[in-house]
Amino acid sequence: MTIKKKILLIDDDKDFLFATKLILEKGGYEVFMAEDGKTGVEVWKSIAPDLAIIDMMMETWGEGFSVLNKIRATDTGKETPLFMLSAVDLQGPYNSFEPPPEFPKVNKVLHKPIKADDLLRMIAQELSGK
Amino acid sequence: MPNTPEKPLILVIDDEEALRDGCRQVLEKCGYEVITAEQGIEGIKLARERMPDMVFVDLKMPHMSGMEIIEIMSRDLPDIVLVMITGFASIVSAVEAIQKGAYDYLPKPFNPDQLRALTKRGLDHRNLKIETKRLREEKDRMEKNFITFVSHEMRSPLVVIRQYIEALNEIAGKSFDKDVKEIIERCRKRVQSLEEMVEHWLDISRIENGTLAQQKVSLSLASIISRSVEEMTPLCRKKGISLETNISKKLPQITGDAESLVRVFTNIIGNATKYTPEGGKITITVKNDEYYTTASIADTGMGIPLDKLPLIFEPFFRCRGKDEKIIGSGLGLTFCKKIMESHNGGIEVSSKEGKGTTFVLTFPVSDNAAKGNTGHTSKSI
Repeated sequence: MTIKKKILLIDDDKDFLFATKLILEKGGYEVFMAEDGKTGVEVWKSIAPDLAIIDMMMETWGEGFSVLNKIRATDTGKETPLFMLSAVDLQGPYNSFEPPPEFPKVNKVLHKPIKADDLLRMIAQELSGK
Repeated sequence: MPNTPEKPLILVIDDEEALRDGCRQVLEKCGYEVITAEQGIEGIKLARERMPDMVFVDLKMPHMSGMEIIEIMSRDLPDIVLVMITGFASIVSAVEAIQKGAYDYLPKPFNPDQLRALTKRGLDHRNLKIETKRLREEKDRMEKNFITFVSHEMRSPLVVIRQYIEALNEIAGKSFDKDVKEIIERCRKRVQSLEEMVEHWLDISRIENGTLAQQKVSLSLASIISRSVEEMTPLCRKKGISLETNISKKLPQITGDAESLVRVFTNIIGNATKYTPEGGKITITVKNDEYYTTASIADTGMGIPLDKLPLIFEPFFRCRGKDEKIIGSGLGLTFCKKIMESHNGGIEVSSKEGKGTTFVLTFPVSDNAAKGNTGHTSKSI
């Protein structure tokens, strides 16, 4: 039996979590969910996932960024692929998130809603590239 | 800070002691707090420290004239209501004082009733002014918050619904029969267009309140058009419409935000595809003269009835023709118009029913580019 790869989803929208979880499970992954940044970092530490998808605009502005920083600061989080989710708003339509150079590495920036095919393809690429 | 919760504070600047005392007595009896100054510098200093609600300034004083005081105070302390006391009822200096920011003037000699009445009127004016300012700030704040509210609270559910549809297709898509698939696809499209409508509306609100991020740089219109054409070619091909460009070789640079301009072109081309039948043609022609670069986008579509032509840039206006299938946010052209306005440009439309519609976009040639271009031309001569 092959061990399923683990993916952690961090987003404060329950429905978005659930919908994305369904897609990822269909793609053969084991999915963990966290509804806020703090829980997200805790789950990260306890399960050491193979990849995490983090929403940029949770409750408070920038919570996504601080989660990203905290995860990158853990032992298991240095090289693990991390995707950021952006909903392209608040800053105007064209200022989607571009990480500044000194920013912890973000492997992909995804825009909501994400097409199931695209999501699974990008995750597969990222995980096989390791 | 306004002194309204306590006694209104009034400053009298006059070199005549009798007048200062007279004013003080009258105004203190009315329940106001009164401070006085003998000359300009002292008066301005006092005003800065105590922030009175209202100041009476005598026109004729040694050292600094009343006119100078009015000028300085109306610039530095704009919330204070200023009144000029004019010795010899000179209309000319009264008018000048008002032009410089005074609220009114009081000709000498005046009686206590006149002083009381003018003070009351001036303080009412001040309260209204402050209230108006507060309301305006409140309105701006609400508008900004409203945009944030809409973008979060209205977009999120739509995004989630589309994500659920993705999930639904992913986990069960293969087992759906054709009708079910079609229903789901129609739902997806309708949700998507609602999302786009919210998006467009947000864009327009952002342009209106100046928070739309635009990076204006010198750019070539030809590259904007080729990007837009590239983006729209698949759609045109799918609809059996040919898309041609006819761009003058030597175009001067324009100043603009590439992303919003591409959206203007894709919007208009997209519109043209909606109203042009299969086998039709969309032609983009760019010309320039010394001052303007004009881009026209002409289609061979059904055209727009003359009576509807002036309305097409209005928000939510749609030319509902016989073809009810045509859907859209109804905000695309409003967006285009606002973007063109923010570029100091223009957008115009002409149309003949049954023949087609032409949109003409006008861009002012940017100064540097114009000079550069002139240089270039003279070289080639």
